[in-house]
Amino acid sequence: MKKYYLIISIVLVCYNGFSQIKSGEKLVFAASYNMGGLMTHLAQVTMETETIKTSKNTFLHLSCSAATFSKWDSFFKIRDLYESFVHPITLKPSLYKRNILEGSYTKTEKYIFKPDGKTINSTLKKKNVPEENTTFSIANGTQDIVSLIYKLRTVDFQNYKNGQMKSFQVVFDKKEIPVVVKFMGKETVSTGNLGNKECYKLSIGARTKVLKGKDQNIIWLTADAQKIPALIKFSIPVGTGQLKLSNASGI
Amino acid sequence: MRQLFFVIAVFFSIISAVFVFLPLGTLALLPVGIALIFGFLALKKSDLNQAKRVKLFLAITIFSLIIIVGKTLFFPDTVDKDPQFETQKRESKDEAQKELEELE
Repeated sequence: MKKYYLIISIVLVCYNGFSQIKSGEKLVFAASYNMGGLMTHLAQVTMETETIKTSKNTFLHLSCSAATFSKWDSFFKIRDLYESFVHPITLKPSLYKRNILEGSYTKTEKYIFKPDGKTINSTLKKKNVPEENTTFSIANGTQDIVSLIYKLRTVDFQNYKNGQMKSFQVVFDKKEIPVVVKFMGKETVSTGNLGNKECYKLSIGARTKVLKGKDQNIIWLTADAQKIPALIKFSIPVGTGQLKLSNASGI
Repeated sequence: MRQLFFVIAVFFSIISAVFVFLPLGTLALLPVGIALIFGFLALKKSDLNQAKRVKLFLAITIFSLIIIVGKTLFFPDTVDKDPQFETQKRESKDEAQKELEELE
C-alpha cells in the first residue's frame, strides 16, 4: 500500500511541477515611489528563503522585509516584515506572519493554515486595539501574499502565448481575492548584478482596491529556470512605484 | 510678466538650495527644473542691468543641480543596521518554529 502512496505522490508532484525555489536565496530590491513624476528611491526590499526544521517536518521560510533608506528614517520610518512558512515542494502555506511598522502605525497579523487546507485561524493586533482572533474559510489551494510570489515562479511560462492567463487565490487582510496573471510576452530587463536578462512580462490583476488600473501592475520574471523577479511595477490608489532587483545571491 | 517669472525663479531657486541639504534624492530636481525654466524666461525678458540678478539666482540653481546630481551618483542609498529589526526577525522566526511544532 505504501508503494502506491509513494507512486501517487510522485505523479502528483510531477503534475503540479517541482518547486524551483532554493533555500538560501537572497534577492535585494530598491523600491522607488513616483513623487511628482520622479522615481524616488525610498526603501530596500529583501526577499530571503531558508529551510526551517521542526521535529517532524521541514518547511521553507519565505521572508520579505522592507526598510526605508537611512536618509528617510527620520521622516517616515518603515520596517515591514512579511513571512510565510511553506511546504518546500508544493509551497502550500502553513503559517503566515505580517509585522508592520510604518511611521507611527503598527500592525501584526498571523494566519495559521489548518491542515485541512480550508480554514485559517487569524490573529490581528493593532496599536491601542485589543487582539482580535477569528477563524474563516478559504478555498483549497489559497496562497498568502508572500508564497504567491514564489508560487508564480514555479509556473512554466515557456509555452504561454500572449494574453494567456493563470488564476490563483490569495488571502490578504482576511479576504480571499482571485488573482489573474496574464502573460504579456518577453522583454529584456536589467537584473542588477546578473546583468541584462530576457524576462517574462506578467500582468497581475486582482479584484481588490489595493491594486489600481488594467495592466499597470506588472512583474518581470527572468525567462530561465530560476524565474527571479527582476522588476515589479505597481499602481496603488496613492500613486505608482517600482521594485528593481539590485542584487541576487544564493540562486 | 518678467517680474512674475523672476519671483517664481527666485522662490524655487531658494527651495532648490534648501532641498540640497535635505535627504530628498531626485525629488530635489523638481524645484531645480521649475527654477531653471522661469529663470531663463525671466532672463529672456530682462535688459542688461536686470539680467545680473537673474543670472545670480540661475547660478545658485545650477550649483544646487550639480550637488543634487553628484549626491545621487556618488552617494548610494544605504539602509542603516537596525539591531531592533534584526532581533524582531529572529524572534519572529523562533516563535514561528514553536507554532509550527504545535501545528503537527
